[in-house]
Amino acid sequence: MKHQIREDRGHLIVSFEGDVDMQNSPEARNVLLKNLEKKMPILVDLSQVSYIDSSGVASLVESLQTAKRNNSEFALVSVSGEARRVLQLARLDKIFTIHETLEDAFADAG
Amino acid sequence: MARQEAAEIQVFDSGEHFAEQIELLALMGRDFATSLDIEKTLFKTLEHITHYMDAASGALFLLDESGEHLRCEVCVGETEITGLVLKSDQGIVGRSVQNNSGEVIHDVATDPDFNNAVDAETGFTTKSILCAPISVQEQKIGAIELINRKSGDGLFVQSDLTMLEAMASSAGLAILNARMAESLVEQERVRRELELAAEIQRSLLPSARDTHFPVHGINQPAREISGDFYDFFPLPDGRICFNLGDVSGKGMNAALLMAKTASLFRCLGKTIHDPGPLMSKVNEEIFETVTRGMFVTMVAGVYNPATGVVRLANAGHEPPIFHKADGSFSFIPADVPPLGITPHLSDGEPCPEVEFQLDGGALYVFTDGVTEGYIAEGVTLEVEGVTDLLTANAGLPAPERLKKIIERISGADLPLRDDLTILSVDDRSCAEARRKTPRNEVPVSSDSVQNRETLLKLQFPGKPDRLRLVRSSVSETAKLCGCNTEDIEAIVIAVDEACQNIIRHAYGATQEGDIILEIRRRGDEIVIFLRDFADPVDVSKIKPRDLDEIRPGGLGTHFIQELMDEAKFLAPPADGGNLMRMIKKIK
Repeated sequence: MKHQIREDRGHLIVSFEGDVDMQNSPEARNVLLKNLEKKMPILVDLSQVSYIDSSGVASLVESLQTAKRNNSEFALVSVSGEARRVLQLARLDKIFTIHETLEDAFADAG
Repeated sequence: MARQEAAEIQVFDSGEHFAEQIELLALMGRDFATSLDIEKTLFKTLEHITHYMDAASGALFLLDESGEHLRCEVCVGETEITGLVLKSDQGIVGRSVQNNSGEVIHDVATDPDFNNAVDAETGFTTKSILCAPISVQEQKIGAIELINRKSGDGLFVQSDLTMLEAMASSAGLAILNARMAESLVEQERVRRELELAAEIQRSLLPSARDTHFPVHGINQPAREISGDFYDFFPLPDGRICFNLGDVSGKGMNAALLMAKTASLFRCLGKTIHDPGPLMSKVNEEIFETVTRGMFVTMVAGVYNPATGVVRLANAGHEPPIFHKADGSFSFIPADVPPLGITPHLSDGEPCPEVEFQLDGGALYVFTDGVTEGYIAEGVTLEVEGVTDLLTANAGLPAPERLKKIIERISGADLPLRDDLTILSVDDRSCAEARRKTPRNEVPVSSDSVQNRETLLKLQFPGKPDRLRLVRSSVSETAKLCGCNTEDIEAIVIAVDEACQNIIRHAYGATQEGDIILEIRRRGDEIVIFLRDFADPVDVSKIKPRDLDEIRPGGLGTHFIQELMDEAKFLAPPADGGNLMRMIKKIK
């Protein structure tokens, strides 16, 4: 798994690539929680995620909960088919705010 | 006298009169044959006779069951004495019944047996009585009494009696027939109800398994219904729950308590997997509702085919026989009183259990009908007889062995004293299977021996960094089977999550070890086995998490259950560890 962080129009964009599985999810969790400390709206780009397991989903849930406590924005962007399937399986696809593209995300943020 | 003779000649000479009499008899016979209401038919009969004989009133008396009293069952005409009860030798009716001969009392004033009490009460004046006994062969049934001829001088003559006797004997046959029919109908009803009860009881017994199954049983009731029962059923973890009981007493009440106890065991046994607590719970239920004085002796146990270990609780029952693999015998006595006697089996403590290793031997649980069954006039089988038969037939398959014991008693051609019930838990073939299965081999479950193909077998250290390799191997294997993308993804996720559970929960932070993954194809099913070598997991604690609760973690088990058609832990392998099986039907 690889990850990238960049800033765009007042948002932190965290992108993951590859497998977010039992081996890598601790790293994904660390990246997300550390960036949440910056108190900026976060968009997590999952377009390049080929596999995500229950531990990867758990990292996303924990991050969402932290963001809600901080009243900051936390959304998923361009979720790959594989990742979407797992979110649906966990019945979490309605819990997360999911934007189809980055442009949609910026438009929603106004 | 001359007048009587003349009348007699007149009756028998008159062809018309005779035909009328025959017709009346036929009518009575038909009434009895078509009506199930004896009293109504008796009334009609008496009405016909009274009318025909031109009597002012008539009464029909029947002897009661004891034969000590005569009761007026029906009455027609000017006096109403229905319900009048006389001693069976009282009055003219009694005399006629006792002597089994008819009477014509031409003038009652001259008869010492005449009782004028009725006249005094009714204001009726009895002048003449005609009385004929109702009997069939030597069996006394009752009598018909007619009072006062309506026409002429009001007196009966001898020839009237001849006719009444003919009608009375016809009525006797008809009454007897009707009574027999009534009792036959009742017997038939009782017989049908018993048959139905027996049928329901048989349905409570488990159906026979094939010879290789470790548990077998036989129940042979002494009568239609039984106070004995036995049951066995596999638990989700592969262990087998069994029980056998004997309800005190016989007959319908015992059969009903048997049905209740058997149902309680079957229902509670599915959630309480330990014989002691199960026994305590069933005892509480029975104690609360049992009819005073009834009780149940009972053995309940759990057998683990993967280890050969049996755990037993015995409530007041005959000690089960343990036939060890070396041929010796030992007995497992009762620790607590029978069920239904005390509210708590052992003073607030859980009902005690004994645990032992069958180790290739067999356990026999039976009711005292077996040990106390007659094998010859005055000779009972006894425990020694049972152990002798077990030794002699040790080479036979378990169901045959049990049959030999039952046949020893039922074949003696003596009536069964009690229900015969015996159950066996035979560890022999499971012990052999345990020896044959070497360590680190995924045991082959018996149902998959045929028609299967091993597609992948992988042994790897239970570490997170190996899961990527596992996923790609599983993905390729599923692709090879022709699974569609969705099924491939499902199988990959399920295997990945199951491995994570092993790493995280079975091995955990304190242990480490390998995982063996085996994927087989069985018809249109992909069957996945996952074996680890960690301490056995408590299956009851593995639950998918509540999805309404939003929190990280605990999702893996939910994924597996959503994606697979079946996922469960099989009986733990004999040499430790855990064995899980998942099945995915492919489209």
